Amino acid sequence: MRKTVLIACLVLVLGLGQAAAVRAGVQAAADESLFREAKLLVFDKDWRAALAKIDELIDRFPTSPLAGQALFYKGECLSGLGGRERDALRAYRSYIRLDDAKPSLVEESEGSIVDLAFDLYEGGDDSALREIESRLDHANKVIRYYAAYKLSLVSDKKQAAKAAPVLSRIVETEKDPELLDRARIALLRVSPESLKSAEERQPRSGSRARMLRIRIREGGSKEPGFSLNIPFALADLALGAMDEDDKAAIRKKGYDIAKIMSELAKSKESILRIAGNDGSIIEIWID
Amino acid sequence: MDEYAGKGPGSRAEIAAVERLLRETETVRSEIRKAADSVDWDALPGLIADRALAAEGPKARLAPAPRPLAWLAAFRMRPALAGLAAGLVVGAAAMYFAVKAPESRSGRDDAYFASGEFLDSAEREMARRNTVDYLEKSQFMLLDMFEPAGGEGPVAAAALRSERARDLLQKKKYLNTQLGTFQMAKAKALCDQIEMLFLELSQVDDELTAAELERIRALIEDRQIFLKINLVKKELQSGV
Repeated sequence: MRKTVLIACLVLVLGLGQAAAVRAGVQAAADESLFREAKLLVFDKDWRAALAKIDELIDRFPTSPLAGQALFYKGECLSGLGGRERDALRAYRSYIRLDDAKPSLVEESEGSIVDLAFDLYEGGDDSALREIESRLDHANKVIRYYAAYKLSLVSDKKQAAKAAPVLSRIVETEKDPELLDRARIALLRVSPESLKSAEERQPRSGSRARMLRIRIREGGSKEPGFSLNIPFALADLALGAMDEDDKAAIRKKGYDIAKIMSELAKSKESILRIAGNDGSIIEIWID
Repeated sequence: MDEYAGKGPGSRAEIAAVERLLRETETVRSEIRKAADSVDWDALPGLIADRALAAEGPKARLAPAPRPLAWLAAFRMRPALAGLAAGLVVGAAAMYFAVKAPESRSGRDDAYFASGEFLDSAEREMARRNTVDYLEKSQFMLLDMFEPAGGEGPVAAAALRSERARDLLQKKKYLNTQLGTFQMAKAKALCDQIEMLFLELSQVDDELTAAELERIRALIEDRQIFLKINLVKKELQSGV
């Protein structure tokens, strides 16, 4: 009798275990499938439908290993929907706090928090700026740099100038040309004098950073209507940024502006002067 | 001329004068041809330019002593001189390079400055270039994953692929701001889709299973990502 009971118990335990395993397998398949569907909807920017799937995943499978990651995608959906910035901020913050948060998604979440805070600040919520400022000394330089870049774009110039120390550091130490150009332009916006010091401090430029200067004078005028003094490193970008009509006018006169710039850069002390039919004069030189 | 000949003695005198003029002109022409044949036209402009630029001021300005056949020399030089003169006039009117000591200009305004409008244009240009760069790098990475040269698995190891995906995600963050500001909606929509793929790839530390690879490949094919990359890239490169 005892033996029979023991066997019955064993069968029951094994059966329950097996059932649990089957149930877990079914759940894993179900949450994975839901998550995949949600991500596909995110890919197509169908934010509302994606959010519904993610909420369903979190509600139905709160213990699923995917529930944590779903928080990040929830942030993406709420951010994409518009008008729910604060909810999106909460979702991203919740994701960052997770123990098993993936580093790449943490960086993305931090970047999104900075973007959302920027939008909220520009929309009139002054307190949102703290989210950006607090990241200026973040341990992760990817986040620190992005916060500084974004802060340089805020409309209040006094606040924007707080980004200058981090941006200067980028100019002094970074090698990535894309990042460098962004930092230079951002500094030209918020603190040109900081850019000058940073260019002169960084080892690449030696004791004196080269400068591209452009002056445009209207016919008969001594004072230039347009003046530009920028680091020579931005010269290529400056030429690329020239108005298409101006570029066409110069080409029509038979000048290859890229070639001229290369000659100017080589000669170091030449000046290019272009006189228009209307008496206007364009002067470009590098020193 | 024969029709004109029968109209009186005055006319005949005129004809004789014209014929004489034509004969003389022909003589001059043949002289010019001979002279022209002796000139190395390819080398001449360079030679003249060299001498003109090397001319020592006061001496160059002195009138040259009259020489026999000086008029012929002028004829011989005419094409090159005309070119040089035209070049000088146009050049002087439009542009000149003058050697200037930088010190004479610096000190007057040594600070950096640029208008907000200029900086916007520079950022727009930067957005255009960086988006093209982002699309190209994305294309290479996706091609490596789904159409490897040997027809087998991806060339890049999973860890390297994950790192590259993270790099591209970082670049994309900066592009988001610019693409939004400069109303490059088509490029932004495509970059956003690619970003989602990289979010997936950045989280995969191990090799992707065949099923996962196939799922992502099908998605790329279904949404015609490569075609869109090529189209948007071309638009941005041509400045549309």
